[in-house]
Amino acid sequence: MNILEIKNLVKDFGGLRAVDTLSLSIEKGQILGLIGPNGAGKSTAFNCIAGVYPPTGGEIYFAGEKINRRKPWDLCKKGLARTFQIVKPFSSKSVLYNVMVGSFATTDKTAVAEEKALKVLKLLYFEDKKDERAGNLTIGERKRLEIARALATEPKILLLDEVMAGLRPAEVDEMVQIIQKLRDQGITIFVIEHIMRAIMALSDRIVVIHFGKKIAEGSPQEVASDENVIKAYLGDEYVVS
Amino acid sequence: MTRQNINRFALTLVGVVAFGLPLVLRSPTYLHILILLYLYAYFTTSWNLVGGFAGVLPLGHAAFVGIGAYTSTILSLQYGVSPWLGMIVGGILAAIAGVLIGLPTFKMRGAYFALATIAFSEGIRVMVENIDYLGPFKLNGPSGFQIPPKNIGLVNYMFIGKEPYYYIVLVMLIGVLAFTYFISRSKLGYYLNAGGEEPEAAMALGINVARAKLIAMAMSSFLTALAGTFYAQFTLYIHPKSVISLDLSFEIAFIALIGGRGSIAGPVLGALLLRPVSDFSRIYFGATLPGLHLIIFGTVLVLVMIYQPRGLQEPLTRAYNRLLDKIIGQTAQGKVRHEYS
Repeated sequence: MNILEIKNLVKDFGGLRAVDTLSLSIEKGQILGLIGPNGAGKSTAFNCIAGVYPPTGGEIYFAGEKINRRKPWDLCKKGLARTFQIVKPFSSKSVLYNVMVGSFATTDKTAVAEEKALKVLKLLYFEDKKDERAGNLTIGERKRLEIARALATEPKILLLDEVMAGLRPAEVDEMVQIIQKLRDQGITIFVIEHIMRAIMALSDRIVVIHFGKKIAEGSPQEVASDENVIKAYLGDEYVVS
Repeated sequence: MTRQNINRFALTLVGVVAFGLPLVLRSPTYLHILILLYLYAYFTTSWNLVGGFAGVLPLGHAAFVGIGAYTSTILSLQYGVSPWLGMIVGGILAAIAGVLIGLPTFKMRGAYFALATIAFSEGIRVMVENIDYLGPFKLNGPSGFQIPPKNIGLVNYMFIGKEPYYYIVLVMLIGVLAFTYFISRSKLGYYLNAGGEEPEAAMALGINVARAKLIAMAMSSFLTALAGTFYAQFTLYIHPKSVISLDLSFEIAFIALIGGRGSIAGPVLGALLLRPVSDFSRIYFGATLPGLHLIIFGTVLVLVMIYQPRGLQEPLTRAYNRLLDKIIGQTAQGKVRHEYS
């Protein structure tokens, strides 16, 4: 069953078409990678799905329900959580406080929220930082905090927007493991990533977009050898014929 | 002795001193100053629910003081309703006004929000000053109301000495402090803080930021209006310039910013520091340099914003914690982590 289905999604900003008739679908329990050169419209597509931007056209279905123009907080309560490419921690608060904000999505009790937050921190090997001020974290830790907060809302699907950008290679490996662990727990994952090594290792399927349009889709191997993809990334003259 | 025990002991001590003070302090002047100090701590703590937790800077809370003062006074003078009942009605009216003001203004950020709230409260003041009758209710324009001290007693919220007022405002202050403490540890408190710091992230985490802010605004304006009634019954004279003035709105914000907005202790600390300055400058320089206290506030605010942007509660809390560490003797075990929540 497709947990997320996008049909002919269009998003215009004034005269600029950022996402152009994009269609894709994710099966429950899958990891889908979304890649494309800078400015291809990946984050815009994410923002449309997560309810930040109302789509100009097309339809978005989450668990069989049309979610166009739904508000971000409603979507979150329905089980669609996301992280931000530019991290947005609640800087003056502790890591635990940050994660508890997320866990309040499914409970009204502070004690329950704290318990759930601690569980999430443990899952992400992040417990030792729980009293650290979020503003004092390194970029890698902030990215992890983004995931922790989103995870605390108990999502069915997690939209990860470049959670590995800026990480050290060792941190990337750890992040890959974490994402795989989340998938094993039954969470569907939709990931935007620039680090090819990571996305190739992670994804069950990859969708490539360029200028808002889908130019390729398939397994990591298929996509990596696709002529259009190589063209998009490297330019025409590099195509090996 | 554990940290918790010391905290509890210190709180009890402060409580005992606060409740026992009128037994020792017989001077009406000093009691008056203390009553106003508690009143401003109360105003600022109510303000803090929006201005502190929700991360916006409302500068028009005097409007709610005015709504509270006028509602209970009009109801009691013109309809014979007990001010206690009028106080609740005033609170509800203020909460409605707060939501109506909040609906359009919470879409604005930073200085624009502050300016919009000033505009609303000034608008209300000008209206009250220029209207004699609002439907069946007599507003009495710029001259306001003198409350005749008839039927003195608890039912009519009127007393001869200062002591009853002292205890009423003290209980109100303790109540509102307990309430904000409870809110800050509840889901709403987390949601307000999150929405104030990073609204986009908060929304993605399931928070309807605008709704949380409106709830806080309703509670804040309700609580503020209750103290408006207290002010009317305490001074027995209200007029637009006294209860709906910008001075009042600004002083609340000054106290909060200097004490530390968003914390429980900040408003009380701010009032403790600033109210005496304002009262004594009025007593000693009232004739020669009126408004001196505002200059002092401004200077203090600039210094605090430069050196302690999170208010004076932060260094003081740190000092208090260090003192506790010394008492308990944990310093030997190395650095003790303090929570940031």
